[in-house]
Parts: sequence; C-alpha cells; structure tokens
Amino acid sequence: MFYTIIEQVVNGIVSGSVYAIVAVGMTMIFGVLRAINFAHGEYYMLGTFGAWVAIDYFDLPYPVAIVIGVVATAVIAVVVGNFVMQRIVGAPAEAGVLATLGVALILQNTVILVFGGGYKFFSGGYIEPVTLFGFTLAEQRILIIIIGLIVFVGLELMVTYSRMGKAMRAVSQNIECCAVVGIDVRHVALWTFILGAALAGLSGVLTAPVNVSVYGGMGELITFKTLPIIIMGGLGNVRGTFVAAMILGIAESLVATYVGLQFRDTVGFATLMLVLMWRPHGLFSAQARF
Amino acid sequence: MTIYLSRRGFCVGSALIGFQAISSGAFAARTEDGTIKLGLVAPMSGPNARYGAFSLRGAQMATKEINSAGGVGGRKINILTGDSQGTPVEGVSATRRLIDQDQVDFIIGDVSSSVTLAMQPVVEDAGVLLINAASSNPMITYKAGVGGFKWTFRNYPTDENRALIVLQYAAEKKGFTKYAVLSVDTDYGRAAIEFTKKYLPRFKSQILTEDYYKEGEVDFRSVLSKIRDSGAQAIIMYGNADSTPIVGRQMIEVGIAGKIPLIGNAEFNTASSIKAAPKALEGAIEAAAWIPSYDSEKSRAFVDKFTAEFREAPNNHAYVHWETVHLLAKAIEQAQSIDREKVRTALSNIHYASAVGEVTFDDHNQARLPMILLEIENGKPAIKGAYSAEIDYPK
Repeated sequence: MFYTIIEQVVNGIVSGSVYAIVAVGMTMIFGVLRAINFAHGEYYMLGTFGAWVAIDYFDLPYPVAIVIGVVATAVIAVVVGNFVMQRIVGAPAEAGVLATLGVALILQNTVILVFGGGYKFFSGGYIEPVTLFGFTLAEQRILIIIIGLIVFVGLELMVTYSRMGKAMRAVSQNIECCAVVGIDVRHVALWTFILGAALAGLSGVLTAPVNVSVYGGMGELITFKTLPIIIMGGLGNVRGTFVAAMILGIAESLVATYVGLQFRDTVGFATLMLVLMWRPHGLFSAQARF
Repeated sequence: MTIYLSRRGFCVGSALIGFQAISSGAFAARTEDGTIKLGLVAPMSGPNARYGAFSLRGAQMATKEINSAGGVGGRKINILTGDSQGTPVEGVSATRRLIDQDQVDFIIGDVSSSVTLAMQPVVEDAGVLLINAASSNPMITYKAGVGGFKWTFRNYPTDENRALIVLQYAAEKKGFTKYAVLSVDTDYGRAAIEFTKKYLPRFKSQILTEDYYKEGEVDFRSVLSKIRDSGAQAIIMYGNADSTPIVGRQMIEVGIAGKIPLIGNAEFNTASSIKAAPKALEGAIEAAAWIPSYDSEKSRAFVDKFTAEFREAPNNHAYVHWETVHLLAKAIEQAQSIDREKVRTALSNIHYASAVGEVTFDDHNQARLPMILLEIENGKPAIKGAYSAEIDYPK
C-alpha cells in the first residue's frame, strides 16, 4: 500500500518534469508578451519531429538528434517570432489568442502535409529499465528528471544574473518603463519566445522515446495540459510553474491509480477550477501581478 | 474611408468568386457521368490516421484492379475520400459532404465504431448505401436491416463473437480466471468489455481492475503498476494499434512484460508492435478479422500484391477495405445497375467468395464471418483457429 503510493508519486514526478519543461517556456512567454501561446504544444511536436527525421532519415544517434530537434524548433521559432510574436507586444489580448491559434493550425497541418497524418515510430533513446531504490524506471525517464532540474536551475540563474534575464524580468513587470530606460522590448520578447519554444522542443525530444509515437496532432494534448499548470503556477511565475507541474503530475498519477485512467485528464482542469475559486491569481503569487 | 470601402469590396468580390467556384464545381460533379462514385470515410488524420491510410490503400488497390479489368459493367469506380479524424462529429460532416457535394452513390466507412454509429442515421436519411468494413461494435447491426436502418450493411465480424472466443481460449487453454481491463474509451473498447462481462460467469472468471484510456494517451505507468499489484493473470485490452507499442514498452518498464500477457484486440500481431516491445507481446492472445499470415490462396495473393505496391505489409484494415470494394463491385454487377435499391437487394442475396470464406448477409445486414484466434509465440503470430458464432439479436 505504502509502496504503491510512493511508486505512483515517483511516476507523477516523472510526468511532472515533462510538464514543467514545457510549461516554463509558456509561462515566460506570457510574462513578456502578455499572450498565452496556444501554439506551444506545436513546438513540442516540432522538436520531436526534428529528432525523428534525424534518426529515421539520416540514421543519426539519439544525442545528436536531441540537438537537431531543439535547433530545428529554435529556427522555426525565429521565423514565427519575427513575423508574428514580435507584433503581439502591446497589442490587445485577443490579437495574441488569434495569432497563436493560427500559428498552431499552420504548424500542425504543415507537418501533417509533409509527413502524413499517421503515427511514426520513434526508435531512439534509452528505454532499458533500471532499478533505483526499488523502483523500475526506463533510463530515459531518469534523464528527463535530471535535464528538467538542470533546465530549472539554469533558468533561475539566467533570470537572476544575466543581462538578458534581467531584461526579461523588467519587461514582464513594466513595458513602458523598459522603453524609457532603453531596453529593446521587441528584442527581449523575441528571445524569450525562442527560448520558450526551444524548451518545448527539448521536452518533446526527451519524451519521444518513452511515448514511442510521433504524429502531427501530438502537441494539442500538451497545450491543454500546460494551460492549467501555468495558471495554477501564477502566469509568468517560473518557480510556481515548477511546483504546479509537479502537483499536477502527482495528482494525475494518483487519480489514475485509485479512481481510474479515464478520469485522469479531468484532473488538470478540476484542480484549476478549485484554484481559481480560492486563489484567482495562482497558488504562488501574493497578489495578482497583471 | 475609401480604403475601408475598397477592402469591403474586395471581400465581397472574393466571396462571390468563391461561391461561383463552389457552385460550378457542384454542377460539374452532377453532370459528370459514367463513373461509379464511391465515398470512403476513414480517419485520415488524428490518432487513428494509420488505419485511415491502410483503408484507403486497400480500397485504392481494389479500385485499380477493377478499373484495369474494364470496370463494373463498363463503369469505372472513382473513390472520393472524407476524413473522419476518428471522431463522430467530423465523420458525420465528412459523410454529409460526400453525399451533398460529391453526390456519391455508395459509401464505405468508418473504422471507428463511434463514427459508424453516428453515420448510420445520416445515410438512412439520404438513402445512400453504407457498407461498413471495419467497425466491430455489435450495436451497428443490432440497429440495421430488420433492426431499423435499411441502408447500413456490415462486412466485418462483431465484438460479441470476439469477446467470447478470446475469453474461452484464455480460460480453457491458459487457465486464466482473474483479469485486468485496459481498453480504449470508445464505443468499440467499452462494448467489447461489456460483452466480455456477459460471458465472464460462464468461465467462472472475474475482472479485478477496470480502466479505459483516451485515444492518444501516452502514460500508462500508473495503471500498469496498479495492474501488477492487483494479482491479475492477463490484461484484457481492446484498443487501437497505436497504443500497443506504448503499452508494451511501459509494461517492460513496470516489470510485467512476460508475466501478464495482453489479450483481446489491438494489433498485437503486427511486426511493428512486436518490434517495439517483443518481451511484452510474447504470449499475447488476439482475435482478429484477418491477419497477413492467414493461409488461403486469395489472402496470400493480396498480401504479395499489396506489399509489392506499397512496400509495406497490409494490416487488417487494408484487407477488409480491399475485400469490401470487391464485394460492392460484385453486388453492382449482379444488380446490373447502379440504382441504389437494386444494389441493396443484390447485396442482401449475395454469395461472395472472400479470402476468409463465403460471405452472406443475415436479416440484420450483418455478414457471417469468422474471427481468427492467434497467439504470439517466439515473436510471431501463430494461428490457433477460426471461430464463427451465431449472433443472438435482442428481441
């Protein structure tokens, strides 16, 4: 009984790590652009496809495929960032919603047009199970947790110490003041977007070996899992997002075990509703920031 | 202001041009003659897109064979596709589009039971003949023929038959009595379990855990750990092929591969599923309408030709759609007309030699077809027999 609970918590942490890497990019983009990026799951999908193409078409090893997947996503993010996301800065909220939904449709259907709508088999990665403290996990999942931690520590350091990181925080606090003191808001917005999209791509490449299937519509599910996380975490709040992702991962895992798998996808939105009733600005903000 | 007006003018103008294009297109479709327009509704995108691709290829291959042999009574068959995405909503609008815009004479579709159930009333209203080739939910023909829908036929065995023979084999040959359920949350997955439950008492068996997954689900670890701890001897899975590799891999991860076999139907027998998780699929028991290694001359010829043409072995859906197009062509030939009512009558009385045996339809427009039972042994499907069962329609 106790063992089962612990094991399910571990399962939850594994899926939570994936959610966290995707969600942190989305929440940072929100912080700077004040727009929910509905295309975020599509960058996750693009990363996976980049790696899949590298492995299936060019026979490259998985570590190289990770780099290719992330770089491919970043390149597409540069294009989308320049043509779409930069223009959202300062635009009304509905412009952001429409633009990112449109981008999501275009990216998803382009991939389906090019590669077909069927499931592809992702053959890379480290899927051998290993036993750790009595739990059996695929090596890949351990890799996911480790990279997840590195990403979060790295982001924390970046926003605290680097010039770009400070600029990102400044833009998320007050755009007008940034303009006054000479921060190039559009430049910061572009780089935040590229970083966020690349992180989504990274998490796509990392999860592909355990999820096995690669297909054009795979990003949708991720976008809708991510939405409640970033709202619970407090939009724009990096640490809050991490904790919210873990809460969702663990809650889903426990619901799948004790209630039923068919109810798992309701957990995210049910928790979200509860959170919004009591703390409309998210779990971790003392007050609403926006 | 002038810019605004000219923009509006542009919008109105382009809308008019668009309208004209559509209406002239529809006109062209109506005046076109001589070909038999066959609509194919299948999941061309979405989680079941693989099934759609196979269905289309099977149907296309059959059409090519028929057309190159001179067509049916001199008429060529032309396939028009509709993408159901595996969801009832999209399936119904694809069906409507095929009927209203493309003006098809006959429709074959869909793979998903949920979609087929939703399409039935649509074709009934339009009086267009629907032959289903790949949905196994028993309700589809409970409600067809004397059961109500006069325009629906099904050339595919049902889950009632499937649930019974899987359970029988598992109980009698393997001695299983305790099961865990992990099925897809659709009309197909749920109905198969419902019929399994109907036969559980006969084999003194019980279900210990029951879970249904959403199409596109990728994380089965929690539920598989629960199954491992529940004491189940086998996992009853009625699902889609795309989930099988994921479930298989995660079974290896939680340490139940090789200990708790999968039984039911989710393409356990295809090379790609077995390759993804050989250890998990060893010992899997499956009842399928057809498998590539089925031993009959017609079946072998189909597999060879399909593999040569598409450089990929066919699956069940490719076969059933290939066979169903040929079945329809034979019905049209016997009717000596493309008049829908005459073709329907011809279909009811048909004796068609399929690759798995003679096809005839009962008064519920359900084809009498066997299910093939197989077990994965040493990484390859071994056929354990073909079973037919009389369907006991509710009065």
